[in-house]
Amino acid sequence: MTRVALQPAYVLHGKPYRDTSLLIEAFTPQHGRLGLVARGARAAKSRLRSLLQPFRPLLMSWIGRGDLLTLGAAEEHGAVPVLRGDALLSGFYLNELLLRLLQRHDPHPALFGRYDAALRVLAEYGHQDTGLQCVLRGFERHLLQEIGYGLVLDRDVVTGLPIAAEGVYRYDLERGPVRYAGGDANLVLHGRSLIALAGDALDDAVVLRDAKRLLREALARQLGPQPLRSRELYNELKDGFA
Amino acid sequence: MTDDSLIGQLVAALRCLPGIGPKSAQRMAFHLLERDRPGARRLAQALSVAAERVGHCASCRTLSETELCRLCAASGRDHAQLCVVESPADVYAIERSATYRGLYFVLMGHLSPLDGIGQHEIGLDQLMARLDGGEVGEVILATNSTIEGEATAHYIAEMVRKRGIRATRIAHGVPLGGELEYVDGGTLVHAFVGRREV
Repeated sequence: MTRVALQPAYVLHGKPYRDTSLLIEAFTPQHGRLGLVARGARAAKSRLRSLLQPFRPLLMSWIGRGDLLTLGAAEEHGAVPVLRGDALLSGFYLNELLLRLLQRHDPHPALFGRYDAALRVLAEYGHQDTGLQCVLRGFERHLLQEIGYGLVLDRDVVTGLPIAAEGVYRYDLERGPVRYAGGDANLVLHGRSLIALAGDALDDAVVLRDAKRLLREALARQLGPQPLRSRELYNELKDGFA
Repeated sequence: MTDDSLIGQLVAALRCLPGIGPKSAQRMAFHLLERDRPGARRLAQALSVAAERVGHCASCRTLSETELCRLCAASGRDHAQLCVVESPADVYAIERSATYRGLYFVLMGHLSPLDGIGQHEIGLDQLMARLDGGEVGEVILATNSTIEGEATAHYIAEMVRKRGIRATRIAHGVPLGGELEYVDGGTLVHAFVGRREV
């Protein structure tokens, strides 16, 4: 039986368990993604009820070993980023990515920092605009890097030459960018898009569009055939209900 | 060991109630059989009739034994206001407060992107049809103040606004009689964001 006290944590997802309990997936810097049972968290007078919500910075203590741990206590930890509107749906998207791509118990302290920072930036945006997209792309790139599938963005993988801003490249997901010389036009991107993505400086529409295409395909390889539900919901909201 | 006697079956059946474990179920069963046979018959009768006949209101989706529920059929309710809530219990809570005279729409849940609960599961197509009927002038979003409740409210608000209808969200903040010292940080943030001129 291991006892771990007062770790920074975010709830990624919670679902009802038995009459008054909650099963949560949490994300922590030192212990990665964890499955926890929060006993009595759904009881009418439980203080945990309002605390164990996604996007609230917490300190958690737990006991147990193996895949399902028991939550001991949780308390608030610092300012709460308030996500509204589209930013809220984007937050769900980040959570879904973490749930799908992180293995339980793999520590990712840097990614935790990124996640925390991303939520705080999301809290500044009410609607989907370039700033919000920039946060999402940056997070996606770091997530891929953390799980060992980082993108090569600094050089042509055939010639070894640095990426030229004015050049045009085809991105081979197995290897990296190769100077485009006609032929297969899938994932053909501007050199400046790759440079901007590497520097987390996605500042115009072309660059954002390139980054989105590249990251979507790179993520799809890791996610497999099952679609991301938060993305589907977002698209339904934007296109549907004519 | 499974007890397939009639008593055993009754105990097992009672356990479908929320918060009822084997011990409580046994206590209930013995109480009904030892001390309150008429009560047991009434309970059985009421349960079977309700399970058979209670469906959903065609207009607001709440639980109702008639085509239109009591509130939707009532005269004197304001048809221009539509309050969207997550569950029939929420309708009861708001009705108890007696501050609202409009109609309701009950989602029977909330959007939960990560559990695959989307717009169809919570009847948003039906809500849209209702809005297109042209009677509604304001949609009051009274979903829970959870993250999923907020997402649901945002989602519906977008759809409502696209139709040129007013969408409002109920206020969140410090409870009446509450002391700031004991209010959690998240609630205080909402209370400050939603502050108003006095």
